[in-house]
Amino acid sequence: MAVCLVPGLAMFMLFKLYPTIQVFYKSFYLWTGIGDKPKFIGFKNFVDMFRDDAFLLSLRNTGFLMVIVPVFTLLIALVNASILTRTKLKERGLYRTLFFFPSILSFVVIAILWSFIYHPTLGFLNSGLELTGLGQYAMPWLGDSRTVLWALAVTMIWQAAGYYMVIYMAGIDGISPDLYEAASIDGATPMKQFIHITIPMLWEIIRITIIFSINGVLSISFVIVTIMTAGGPDRHSEVVMTYLYQQAFTNSNFGYAMAIGVFVFAFSVLLSLISNKLTERGSY
Amino acid sequence: MKWNKFLTVVSACALSVSLIAGCGNGGSSGASGANEGGKDAAGSGGDGSKQVANGELNVAVFQGGYGREYWDQVIEAFMKDHPGTKINLTASPKIAELVRPKIVAGNPPDLLYIAGGDNIPLLDGLIKDKALLDLMDIFNENDGSGPLKDKILPGVLESRAMSPYGDGKIYLAPFNFGVLGLWYNKTLFDEKGFQPPKTWDELFAMNAAAKENGRALFTYQGIYPGYLEEVIVPAIYDLGGQKALDQFFNYDPEFWKSDVFKQVWGNILKFANEDNGLMKGTVALNHTQAQTAFMQGKAMFIPNGTWFEDEMKDAPRESGFQFGFLGIPSFSGGSVKAQSNIEQIVIPAKAKNPELASEFLKYIYSDESIKLNAEKSKAVMAVKDAADLAKPYISESTYNVYKAVDNGMELVNGTFQTVAKGSKYNPKDDVYKAISSLVNKQMTLEEYGQKMYDMYTEVSKELKQAQ
Repeated sequence: MAVCLVPGLAMFMLFKLYPTIQVFYKSFYLWTGIGDKPKFIGFKNFVDMFRDDAFLLSLRNTGFLMVIVPVFTLLIALVNASILTRTKLKERGLYRTLFFFPSILSFVVIAILWSFIYHPTLGFLNSGLELTGLGQYAMPWLGDSRTVLWALAVTMIWQAAGYYMVIYMAGIDGISPDLYEAASIDGATPMKQFIHITIPMLWEIIRITIIFSINGVLSISFVIVTIMTAGGPDRHSEVVMTYLYQQAFTNSNFGYAMAIGVFVFAFSVLLSLISNKLTERGSY
Repeated sequence: MKWNKFLTVVSACALSVSLIAGCGNGGSSGASGANEGGKDAAGSGGDGSKQVANGELNVAVFQGGYGREYWDQVIEAFMKDHPGTKINLTASPKIAELVRPKIVAGNPPDLLYIAGGDNIPLLDGLIKDKALLDLMDIFNENDGSGPLKDKILPGVLESRAMSPYGDGKIYLAPFNFGVLGLWYNKTLFDEKGFQPPKTWDELFAMNAAAKENGRALFTYQGIYPGYLEEVIVPAIYDLGGQKALDQFFNYDPEFWKSDVFKQVWGNILKFANEDNGLMKGTVALNHTQAQTAFMQGKAMFIPNGTWFEDEMKDAPRESGFQFGFLGIPSFSGGSVKAQSNIEQIVIPAKAKNPELASEFLKYIYSDESIKLNAEKSKAVMAVKDAADLAKPYISESTYNVYKAVDNGMELVNGTFQTVAKGSKYNPKDDVYKAISSLVNKQMTLEEYGQKMYDMYTEVSKELKQAQ
């Protein structure tokens, strides 16, 4: 029966392991990614990265999204999940479907949808502000370097919150009702129950979702940024993935792009480890 | 239960085996393909160099707004005229993605027509790699009615777009050409009796008229500030001539200290600073949104190319809207200018059958082919009198754009010098993207100039080192 594992293993090696090794290998080369012979240049690509302002800016933007998006996504998901499960709402099923809906939409559709919501003159957001007499706060959200990252973050939070909410709801359903019953007999408010029962009991799930969510930002941000802002204005919403793509495919700088890829890989592994360490039971 | 489990396991195994079999098939067919290629190359070599009209040719073309019908038909005609040849056509909007692996594997198509923003970088890469065939012989060849190069629009073959290394050798062959500049609503201008402005002063003076008609003076494709090139390049040429344009495209840092820079970029800034100058929210719009707003009468002028009408054919517009092409006004009352953009065809240096590819390339420039291209693609090739050949097939306003060129509108073209291999800079991006900060007033003209000065210094240093 172990033979049955062979095809899967072979394919994993061919389509996952081998390309990954190639990424690491090519990051030490000067290569256009087209027809030339790769030239070995050691760590030069990695050194260059830290002298490249555009890369550093994109790294900062990615870092911003990696902090803001998971924190708000998970917080909103947790609160919503708790409200929907604990209050025994009649429309629970409906809300669950509604909140989950963005997760089954394609990222491209979401990006186009939100670029119309943020449209400076026709957009739902600015029209709404004007309608409610808050017209002076209307602004080109995606065109201003002060607001663009927040605007993108909101889109990404909207997209992901429902997904994590469903995960948390399943988790909360698994918590023994006895705990809540005992707590409420002892006079614990719903808020106290949330903090002292729901969160500790879900802790292992929360740990995993933090890592999922941080790494999700990396991949989702590529589509969202490409469609909604193209990295603009003036690279203020450039993220590492879009920059990597530009270097590889529009600047024919494949080796450098692979070095960025390796850095991002190391960065996200490190981030996951740190998050794992910080959220260990003992330190809670 | 057990029986069930057994069945599951068997079907899982069957599935994986079939997957593997699929992989095996793919591999073997790839190998046989390579063999065929080898056989062909050997065959044509054996026949001697005279017999060029033989063998197989792989042609890869961009299939964009112009479609692929022209290519299907021109290939059919070529094969009829050259019995014994066989041309395989690959056409796709994402042609670069399709041919890239073949090029990497050292097995490129014999002839490539690459266009469209997503695909162009592949050409840049081939240029960086010096992986293109020298086309000088083709353009110098005389078929009795003068060399082929005399048929091409003047100045095109000498431009960097076709002769990328500045050594006078042609590596890229010109194909369809477009004219780029500012557009306005012709109906509005006719009804109100406005004259299309010929100078920048006249253009800015129209701001009051624009406001009266409920629109801003100018808008552009905000999140893609690269469109501003269509305004900037002709303006640089107008003010500083070819010398300033060369400075700009060849990374002379001093360009950013010059008066030309201050005036040309000053104009862009003026749109942003003047009341009613730049349409509200422009910086946040993508190309479709900005162009739709323009057609709905929210702005008086917008930059775009000859493809504009076709691109926006389904877009909503204000009643009576008609495309009018202005070009780029002059600073001093000289001729109105416009940027030209010429698509390119290349033969990779590693092509298996370069003789036949050259033959086919010459065929593309034949009168029948030019007419066929006009008829099927509704496009105008960069050859003399192409607009008149295409007249029956293209819209009137597009024809007028090309005609304006014949009637004294001066065409400007230019391309950034390819940066050194391994350079992190993409000057086209760096120069235009930063304009967003300028327009948003987060950067002054001096800061912008300084940033570009530093970038140009680095880029030219890298180029010197690479030599």
